[in-house]
Amino acid sequence: MRDPAPEPSQEQVTRRNGGRLVTSVATGTWAPLTLTLMVTVAGSVTALALPAVLAGTVDAVVAGRNTLPATRNLALLLVGMTLLDIASVVAGAACVASAVVSLRMRLVGRLLAASAVEAARFPTGELVNRLVSNTATTAYVPVTLLRTAVGVITSAGGVVALFTIDWRVGTAFLAGVPLTLVVIRLLFTRMSGLYDDYQAAQGRLATRLTETLAGIRTVRAAGTVDREISRVLDPLPELSAAGQALWKVQSRSVWQLALMLPLIEVFVLGVAGFGVAEGRLEPGALLAAAGYTTLALAFVGQIESLMDVAYGRSAAQRVCQVLALPVLAPGSVPLAAGPGTLSFRGVTVTREGGPLLDGIDLEIPAGAMTAVVGPSGAGKTTLALLAGRLADPDRGQVLLDGQILGEVDPASLRSAVAYAFERPALLGGDIASAIAYGNATSGIEEVRAAASAAHVDDVIRRLPAGYRTPAAEAPLSGGEIQRLGLARALLPRARLTILDDATSSLDTATEAQVTSALVEGMRGRTRLVIAHRPATAARADLVVWLEAGRIRAQGTHRELWRDPAYRALFASEPAALAGRDRSPITVPAATRPDHAVQNQEESCPATP
Amino acid sequence: MPGHSVTSTRSRTAVASPAGDHAQAAWRTLAELLRPRRRPLAAAAAWSLVEAAPALLSGLLIATAVDRGFLIGRPAAGLAWLALLGLTMAVRAVATRQMFPHLAAVIEPLRDDLVRAVVAATVTRASTGGEAPDGAAVTRLTQQVETLRNLMAGMLRNSRELGVSMVAALAGLLLLSPSAAVIIGGPVLVALISFARLLRLLVVRQRDLVIAGETLTAEATPILAGLRDVAASGAQAQAQDALRSLVAAQAAATRALAWAGTSRRLVVTLGAHVPLIGLLLAAPPLIEHGYLTAGEVVGVVIYLSTGLEPTLRTLLGTVGSWGVSLTVTLRRITEAITFSPEPPIRHRPAVGSEVVCLPAADDLETDVLTFAYSPEATPVVRDLSLTIGEGEHLAVVGPSGIGKSTLAMLLTGLLEPTSGQVRLGGVPLATVPERHLRTVMALVPQEAYVFAGTVRENLAYLCPERETAGDERLGAAVEAVGADALVERLGGLDGTIDEPSVLSAGERQLITLARTYASSARIVILDEATCHLDPAAEARAEQAFAVREGTLIVIAHRISSAARAGRILLIDSTSALAGTHTELISRSPLYADLVGHWHDGPHGHDRRLAGGI
Repeated sequence: MRDPAPEPSQEQVTRRNGGRLVTSVATGTWAPLTLTLMVTVAGSVTALALPAVLAGTVDAVVAGRNTLPATRNLALLLVGMTLLDIASVVAGAACVASAVVSLRMRLVGRLLAASAVEAARFPTGELVNRLVSNTATTAYVPVTLLRTAVGVITSAGGVVALFTIDWRVGTAFLAGVPLTLVVIRLLFTRMSGLYDDYQAAQGRLATRLTETLAGIRTVRAAGTVDREISRVLDPLPELSAAGQALWKVQSRSVWQLALMLPLIEVFVLGVAGFGVAEGRLEPGALLAAAGYTTLALAFVGQIESLMDVAYGRSAAQRVCQVLALPVLAPGSVPLAAGPGTLSFRGVTVTREGGPLLDGIDLEIPAGAMTAVVGPSGAGKTTLALLAGRLADPDRGQVLLDGQILGEVDPASLRSAVAYAFERPALLGGDIASAIAYGNATSGIEEVRAAASAAHVDDVIRRLPAGYRTPAAEAPLSGGEIQRLGLARALLPRARLTILDDATSSLDTATEAQVTSALVEGMRGRTRLVIAHRPATAARADLVVWLEAGRIRAQGTHRELWRDPAYRALFASEPAALAGRDRSPITVPAATRPDHAVQNQEESCPATP
Repeated sequence: MPGHSVTSTRSRTAVASPAGDHAQAAWRTLAELLRPRRRPLAAAAAWSLVEAAPALLSGLLIATAVDRGFLIGRPAAGLAWLALLGLTMAVRAVATRQMFPHLAAVIEPLRDDLVRAVVAATVTRASTGGEAPDGAAVTRLTQQVETLRNLMAGMLRNSRELGVSMVAALAGLLLLSPSAAVIIGGPVLVALISFARLLRLLVVRQRDLVIAGETLTAEATPILAGLRDVAASGAQAQAQDALRSLVAAQAAATRALAWAGTSRRLVVTLGAHVPLIGLLLAAPPLIEHGYLTAGEVVGVVIYLSTGLEPTLRTLLGTVGSWGVSLTVTLRRITEAITFSPEPPIRHRPAVGSEVVCLPAADDLETDVLTFAYSPEATPVVRDLSLTIGEGEHLAVVGPSGIGKSTLAMLLTGLLEPTSGQVRLGGVPLATVPERHLRTVMALVPQEAYVFAGTVRENLAYLCPERETAGDERLGAAVEAVGADALVERLGGLDGTIDEPSVLSAGERQLITLARTYASSARIVILDEATCHLDPAAEARAEQAFAVREGTLIVIAHRISSAARAGRILLIDSTSALAGTHTELISRSPLYADLVGHWHDGPHGHDRRLAGGI
């Protein structure tokens, strides 16, 4: 299976890419699709044979000839038709099912391989919608197109059959077709744009609901549930209007068709009846003419399928936007053993015009604890993301023990680098699995040890089912979740541990305990700590002071403390709030899975 | 035992429960949704009757055209009968056109109602705290409502085919040839009965598919929300495996449903093909004995092939697929929009009921207050007796997870104590009207709620007289908590926040602080509401609230918050102790320890922080 779009930017994701995705889905499921095609074609052949055989049988009946052979043939044909019909349905479902699986796994694969920064552009609700709903809609498109195509060919066969009855009958039919086509084409173009409007309105509503659910504690405390409900529902009139517009277009076009088609039918029957009257045709020909006219007009019924296709293409585009996310190309070189020296060489990250990090050259000494401080927007979080290759720099290199991170194979990089976040997402099931997430082979003793080191063991023991309590259902505070995330980072005993504001929700006492664990308990391992408290910086071996994407100074906390501007970082009106004119890289921070919806609009830039 | 344990029961239990018992509720929901739409429904039904004219007359008119026109060499008469058929079809086209606006008038408002109901239920359910905000909520909103809308539209558009055409075709058949009608009627009846029996299986399969989809949504949401964590833990393979098995289960359900659906094709054979063959076998003797004419045979076959068979197909397709989907989707939505009748806080009277007591004062008092998540669990708050006077500035300190947030919830009446009570102005919270409580008290949680809208809308959120909340008042609040630079950057009060996630966590906290400051709340509880601010900004915001009229309770994030407070409540795992900063330093080793941690920085600067700025 091939990728539909070689890394186009978000803006370039156009209708064309949606089409390409559909093509690749079709190629991916070629086997069941071919089977569907074969049985559908066979089914349409029997459908084309039916009116003629039926007419022959009726003629035999009317003429008083021996009817048994004709009736037997008819019966066989009907049985064959039923069986082919069943085969077509089952094969079609198989196509859809495997297309959905392949689309969803491609989407998941892309999201898991993408840089965390890029994936965070989509709110979680959007991602879920694309994974569950848009993929399903897209997966139907190849089968629908195939059935439509066969339907159109069958219709053409019906026309040919009308001509074989009598050229006059065929001509009578064709006379009505051009106008019908014009009406259909109009309908199709009108509908496509309207579907986009409709989906956009739906999206706005969903976004508002997600927002409200994220702030539900405030809503609850303020007693503003009713107001929130009406706020979420604000875009409803737009949705309604788009829906009404869809109906209007249908009403306008469908009634024209509903008038035109039966008139064609009656016209054809009239011409055939004339043939019967003149003795050129037998009475059965009327049946055949009626049957073939129905078949020939069946292409009109494909309009709705084409609407589904239009709908499916909109969905395909939405899937494409995710598949177009740039991935972090995995390296292949195993990471050699080393003490854990981290180096930044000319590292620059640009976002929306401005640099987030601007030519950073920095050595993080092995085995030491380095604190990164600076006002919000200085680039601290970006630095942390680069340090363990959750994102790649636009220019420059990040090296761990002399090896460029981008070249190191992901498995060995992950075992060498661990992360703890301000708002960790607890994944994997129960608390023990959440701590061992990504280290599935760890035993419960190791998990306990990590939890103790993060000062969260006693909290876990107090939970209803201890370590076996489902993480999603455990009543945990922000600080407790943060410590669980910390335990997860401590578990692998990684060469380099990166803590991005990972203790911000801890109260002073707990943070002091945790900091001791970082200082004493992890002695000899490299630690990069994004800090906004002087106490943390004070205990670090080295402090790196970032400002506006550059290193303003580095040294020990004691040395830097002499600079009033440094002291101001911790104690004065933050320049950050006034001077932040561009957004930092934001990453969806997660607390716990059942609060997932609320996390998607959270960001975790290092706040002062 | 309070009925709203924080340990959520989640929707997963609902997913696993058999949907069977909800069937009636589901159809009641549909009836309720359709009731206000009776008029357009009736109009659409009336037009359906008109639409059925060709179905009733087609075979009859064609048989007449053959017997009295074409076969006896009178083509003009034959054409005239056909012209009559053409007329019925033109009438049908007009009826179709007339029907659309009525259908739209049923479907679009129905969808609107559904969206309203789902949104209201989701938000309300989340706000009662009994259940955590549901990860599937948003998808449920867009997907299931949309499915239901499409299904209803399809059902209504095809309803004529279902009822009217089937009856019309059979009636036409009976008019044309009673003997043929007898031959055909039997198998049709048998087909319908066997189909009714098949429906059960189809419903089960369809429901399995829906459940598979919902499970996928529920399990995928946390993973997609935590992509960064997956990457950082190197757990891509684990996450992929977890999702793959769910995706595969859903695909298997799709296939199983398709197999179950094949039975519908066999029903078509039984109901349409068997009678056709039967008729053709019986026709020669019938014609011989004068029971049937040639034209009638043609007419009967026309009824069968263009009337009955397509109708039967549509019936099976519509009922067997859409109808089943509709049933299942309706059940899911009904589950989503109906919640347990138990109100979030049981004993709280509504305004207007007789037991209403409006407290005259704002002092808060707790009386041997105890709260535990479950009877077995260690209580989070135990036997707490405390009085917080009007206008007091209290800081609550203690290690993480000791129950400070729970206490805030208990004090504001958002959580009901396991035993003991909280009194506001001497009145037990349980008897104070909800509305009054929510106006008098403002609880600001750690996670700041900022929504897309103007800055003014966000700031005036807690002002009951929202429309008239003066800009000066908002401006003063912004100034007081130190959010002026931020508001200015956002473009002043008229500035818009399009995407709240663009703001940093600290900036969002500043907005919620200004909002609370501007409110008329007389008791403000900041539950680590300043944790993303730097110490100086935190101090400024807290000072502003301390100066503001009314009671201030700060669940302290940093010990420096405690030093600023008039009184401190120190919570430990075994006890709670209240006193001033200096009192506690001498009386509580734990407190001294907490403060002590700030003494070890270089040059003693931390001490300065600890002592307040």
